[in-house]
Amino acid sequence: MGRRIRTRLASLFRRGRCERELDVELRFHVDMLTEQNVRAGMPRFEAREAALRAFGAVDRIKEDVRDTWLSRLFETVTQDLRYGVRGVRRNPGFAAIVILTMALGIGANTAIFSVVYAVLLKPLPYKDPDHLVVLHQQRPRAGVQDMRFSYKEILDYRAARSLEDVVELHDMWFILLGQAEPQRVATSVVSAIFFDVLGVRPLYGRTFQPSDDKPGAPAVLVLSHRYWQHTFGADPSVVGRIFRMNDRPHQVIGVLPPLPHYPVDVDVDVYMPASACPFRSDPTMLDDRDGRMMRAIARIRPNVTPQKARADLDIMAARLQGEYPNSYPADRGYRTIAVPLQDELTTSFKMTLNVLLGTAGFVLLIVCASIANLLLARMVRREQEVVVRSALGASRGRLVRQLLTESTLLALAGGLVGLALAQFGLDLLVAFAGRFTTRAVEIAIDRHVLAYTLVMSVITGLLFGSVPALTGSLGLTPTARASGGRSTQGRLRIRSTLIVIQVAASFMLLIGAGLTIRTVIKLQQVDPGFSTDDIVTMRIDLNFSKYRGQRAAEFWKEIDQRIKAVPGVVRAGGAGTFPLNDQGPFSQPIRIKGCEISENAGRPTAAVRHATPDYFAAIGQPVLSGRTFLEGETWGTAPVVIVNRSFARHYWPERDPIGQQISGDDGERWSTVVGVVADTKQQLTEPVRDEIYIPTFQVGFLASSWLVRSTFDPTLMEREIRAAVHSVDPDQPIHNFRTLAEVRSASIASPKLTATLLGIFGLLALLITAAGIAGVVTFSVNQRTQEFGVRMALGAQRTNVVTMVLRQGLQLVLIGLALGMAGALVLTGVLTTLLFGIEPTDGITFITVSMVFVAVAAIACFVPARRAASVDPMIALRVG
Amino acid sequence: MAQKSDLLQGTLDLLILKTLANGPMHGWGISLDIQQVSRDVLQVNQGSLYPALHRLEQQGLIESEWGSSENNRQAKFYRLTRSGRKQLANETENWARISEAVGRVLMKGTT
Repeated sequence: MGRRIRTRLASLFRRGRCERELDVELRFHVDMLTEQNVRAGMPRFEAREAALRAFGAVDRIKEDVRDTWLSRLFETVTQDLRYGVRGVRRNPGFAAIVILTMALGIGANTAIFSVVYAVLLKPLPYKDPDHLVVLHQQRPRAGVQDMRFSYKEILDYRAARSLEDVVELHDMWFILLGQAEPQRVATSVVSAIFFDVLGVRPLYGRTFQPSDDKPGAPAVLVLSHRYWQHTFGADPSVVGRIFRMNDRPHQVIGVLPPLPHYPVDVDVDVYMPASACPFRSDPTMLDDRDGRMMRAIARIRPNVTPQKARADLDIMAARLQGEYPNSYPADRGYRTIAVPLQDELTTSFKMTLNVLLGTAGFVLLIVCASIANLLLARMVRREQEVVVRSALGASRGRLVRQLLTESTLLALAGGLVGLALAQFGLDLLVAFAGRFTTRAVEIAIDRHVLAYTLVMSVITGLLFGSVPALTGSLGLTPTARASGGRSTQGRLRIRSTLIVIQVAASFMLLIGAGLTIRTVIKLQQVDPGFSTDDIVTMRIDLNFSKYRGQRAAEFWKEIDQRIKAVPGVVRAGGAGTFPLNDQGPFSQPIRIKGCEISENAGRPTAAVRHATPDYFAAIGQPVLSGRTFLEGETWGTAPVVIVNRSFARHYWPERDPIGQQISGDDGERWSTVVGVVADTKQQLTEPVRDEIYIPTFQVGFLASSWLVRSTFDPTLMEREIRAAVHSVDPDQPIHNFRTLAEVRSASIASPKLTATLLGIFGLLALLITAAGIAGVVTFSVNQRTQEFGVRMALGAQRTNVVTMVLRQGLQLVLIGLALGMAGALVLTGVLTTLLFGIEPTDGITFITVSMVFVAVAAIACFVPARRAASVDPMIALRVG
Repeated sequence: MAQKSDLLQGTLDLLILKTLANGPMHGWGISLDIQQVSRDVLQVNQGSLYPALHRLEQQGLIESEWGSSENNRQAKFYRLTRSGRKQLANETENWARISEAVGRVLMKGTT
């Protein structure tokens, strides 16, 4: 084996010796032939002449021998490359266009693939991620899909045989003191073994130990990577620092690496061990099977199939239902399911990502067709070169290989530039992906993405290179080629086909872009039921250890007065949340007096939030009947509520809602309806919900949003308002200062970004295609210069010529358009979930896009058509 | 690269392998041997012989060594390798099968 490889490589590395040996070998043969002739009686001189004649052309034999050597392959490849580079340098403008077009296609695909890879293909950065699942308790018959867990339930499921470990987690807002400003931090409260179960190692310090999770243990915090970077400037010395939180000193013990976290809708700042959360560790909470505030992540034992795990969870659910019928009422059903953590983190993004991937694929198709077209056009000018080279003995295979080497070279260069483009656009994509999945932190151009780009570049290079290589004059017989090869007609047909493909594909892309843009416009037109002008919003979360019950209610009243006293404030009101905010109100089961519903039907529910008397005036939500809350409706007074119009119509269609009674605690306390307000939308895309408002001053809530309407630019109010709040309590954080217009705009940021991306892709496609159309028409005009000359000499008007060229070009566009329209009607169905307010076959979009397309195509045809018409018949005829 | 028919090329390869089965030999010797054994029916063209030898060597079916010829001159001797021997056995069997089959087709109806 070693010897064989040595033999094969000899021609590469010991070329001289191989040549000398070949020489000696052949000379020996000739000498022996000579000897034979001499022995047959020829004179020596003649004998040698005869031997050489018999032997044949020595150089030819040597060439044939060299063909068997390995070095021959390298020679031809380097030669091809040299020719390729020479070709590129001889025509830098052409190369630049091809490389740039290619870069757009590869860049788009690389960027999208880096997202697809990081989010969907790469395993989660945890230990054995395939075995990690999220548990969901469900009440199928009541339509409850995701019920949280109580402490007791977590303990129960830890006993399930298929599950190796179950960890609990829940999110809280806490106030962190010890920096310049009091800070509200998003805190994930987790079991001590949480990080061990996930297999996460800290970047600095340590994670939790079981001893941290014992009552009375010193309070500790682990920082998320993002929070550590933003707030502490990535300073490792933060480990060991002590902050005050919940009236206790908390020590930072570790910093996490960048990791995706569950659930996806919270940006966690810090982690704290479960027992340190004062709410969750309240003895009554721990003891209450129905005190469900936690989520559960479990690790399935190795070698346990999903079916087995499912069966096990069913058994556990049935057991609990049997033991605690009050907690799991049979009429609502009860079961627990396990969803792979990977799915939980990425499901909401899959749809959009698939659409983007498909779009990028279409862009690449258009790019390929367009470059193939360019190469075909150039082949005309290289006809001569091909003919000469094949006349000099270059085989067809060799010429094809040469062309493919060239196109691959161009594609690789384009891929390299595309990589730079992808890197450039990556930040935008990460921000975009971050709206859907916490795996966005993992997006990067790593070696897998590089490999993908390399492979894609080579494949596309071969693909667009094979069109000119296998068609045109190379597809002809040698004789046809030698006779000058009028392959122009055939080539024009291929070029026309490529244009039709481009038109069809870019039309579909533009339809996709058009539909998402129309969706954004529709969203912007939605009337949410209030005006967003001149209102600034903010959120205040109270320190629960300081304010509770009556103290909280009194605090809100004080804040209300102080804010209203700020100069420039016209109206100010507080509420649990406000419309278009991503934190919706809680949905709560209620009872309505005189409207008792049978046991089997689901209990009525409503979105419940608190509000101050001036909240409705501040946001501009009219009171339709009755009144708003009174300043005097404070802690200890008779409970009252306000409902929205939708609620009133739903439950008291025939009666006056004012004076009716509602209970939120199963009839223990009944509240009287004192007013009905107009409907507002919580989300632009959602229908109006039934809503109940309860007085902020009457109940001790721990958090409230505030809306302030002012006489001048509301963003200038921030300092004054902060000062007003801090005059009541200097340790009170205030955050999320945003105008209501910003909130509204943020609520449609995802569809906007989708539309932007698809719009960019569509525009790219349109430009590339328009350039392609212009190229083909120019090509055909150039071929027909003589014909136009003759026509005009015979009296054809310039307009006739223009019309003729236009008609020919637009014919292609219309065929492509028809195909694209058919494709779009089939394909846009996949967009349905991304659309709002329009059908995937939206007529306006189809008509507008068609008109834009035809207009652009007409311009692309018109430019060369005018050139054709400006031909001087005399010159045209002479040139021919 | 001159196009040769597969049959011709394959046949020449087989003849070379068979000749080398009797012991190492140089190119000149191989062409003489084939000519003599076939009683001058088969004349090996040098233009095919040397490319074939080099190709077989690249394929690892034969290997070469410099030695001295009968008249004390430097010559390149070729020798069968183990895989060459295996190839020879296979190809001989193949050849026999095909020539028998061709013979049967040609003889059909003449007896």
